[in-house]
Amino acid sequence: MAATPLEVRNIKKRFGDTEVLKGLSLEAQKGDVITLIGASGSGKSTFLRCMNLLEQPDEGEIILHGDTIRFKETRRGREPADIKQVVQMRAKLSMVFQNFNLWAHMTLLENIIEAPIHVLGKSKKEATEHAYALLERVGLTARAHAYPAQMSGGQQQRGAIARALAMDPEVMLFDEPTSALDPELVGDVLKVMRDLANEGRTMVVVTHEMSFARDVSSQVIYLHQGLVEEAGTPGDVLGNPQSSRLKQFLTPNY
Amino acid sequence: MLDLQGYGPRLIEGAGVTVQLAVLSLLLAIALGLLTATAKMSRSWLLHGIATAYTTLIRGVPDLVLMMLLFYGGQIGVNAISDILYYDFEIDLYINFNAFAAGVLTIGFIFGAYMGETFRGAFMAVDNGQVEAGRAYGMSNALVFRRIRFPQMMRHALPGLSNNWMVLLKTTALVSVIGLTDMVRVAAEASRATHEPFVFLIPVAVAYLLIASVSEWIFARLQKRYDIGFGEH
Repeated sequence: MAATPLEVRNIKKRFGDTEVLKGLSLEAQKGDVITLIGASGSGKSTFLRCMNLLEQPDEGEIILHGDTIRFKETRRGREPADIKQVVQMRAKLSMVFQNFNLWAHMTLLENIIEAPIHVLGKSKKEATEHAYALLERVGLTARAHAYPAQMSGGQQQRGAIARALAMDPEVMLFDEPTSALDPELVGDVLKVMRDLANEGRTMVVVTHEMSFARDVSSQVIYLHQGLVEEAGTPGDVLGNPQSSRLKQFLTPNY
Repeated sequence: MLDLQGYGPRLIEGAGVTVQLAVLSLLLAIALGLLTATAKMSRSWLLHGIATAYTTLIRGVPDLVLMMLLFYGGQIGVNAISDILYYDFEIDLYINFNAFAAGVLTIGFIFGAYMGETFRGAFMAVDNGQVEAGRAYGMSNALVFRRIRFPQMMRHALPGLSNNWMVLLKTTALVSVIGLTDMVRVAAEASRATHEPFVFLIPVAVAYLLIASVSEWIFARLQKRYDIGFGEH
């Protein structure tokens, strides 16, 4: 059996005196779509950001394809022992952010070819051809030479997904990708994400979109105060919640 | 017609010295400014302390005093080194501490401190999400700096940088005290010799204005270049 694309074990993280992650684990097999749900403050975004080390976990292991990220203890706490290893690891996990974070001084096309050229070492020609194919996929061919500030939020987020895909990532991390969008723009972004899930992309998604979680996930994890409260198939977790907290979380309160 | 009484070529030479001195000092100041800003933003208390001591010292002592300290101090330091080389290693090396180098070093050193503050503010104005996106896509710190932080920071730094440059340009007039023949010194000499100060000082003033105007034009172009993507201008 092929090695697991992404496995994280027993992640713990504290900010000052507050322990926000109290030992979280997750295993993404190829083609898995894992959605992390939970109230704000449950730690789901922090957990996701620990996976590519945008946050440094205080404890726990991160394993990509059987390759364990090495850490060392310093005066400031635990830090990655080998920056090169982290850089290589991040190139395999692309992240889509809540606030898109497209680079403001570059056109959409330049955003998409930036990391493939400078991180993966692709030629400009090859990267540009790939970028145009991705732009077509997300329906933004006409916006290739627009700057992020000239695009709507939905366009920026679809552009950011194209930027993520340009890395040929093994796992895609989505950090509340639709939370900053106007309601009428959410649909287009979710459609692109559904297509990605259907074609077998491995994805870890932090989201508040329950319909997305229900329809496309292979696994749903409900977090509460830095711990897994319930996990399983969408049918189990969303269709037949056990804990009263999850029941309450899933009840529309409007 | 303006009669420069034979001082024309020397004035032009002096103007050349002024421009060279200013441009080289600017380059040094930018390099030192970037280092200072980075040190001040680093988590290392040692780097932070050195950078703070540097900016406090430079900003608190008059430029003229610093310039003389560095010039005379520099010569004493160089002499001490050549003494050691001669007596301990029998290497006979006499180095004359060059006034031009002293001028560039001092002005660069002084304005590096001001640039440091300009750059620090500009770096802090860059949205952290932009930097995070770079990291998340596997960029090393050096690559993030070159491709994202630096170009985005410049947009915020340019107004302050251009202001510093204008002050720097005029500060070069101080180098005449350490014996460097810039255009102000030539004009002062000529004025004394001919008793016609306006004939020489007005062209010098015009020359400064001209350099300043050209710089303003260049900075406006740069601002346009670094504003790309951040709304209409």
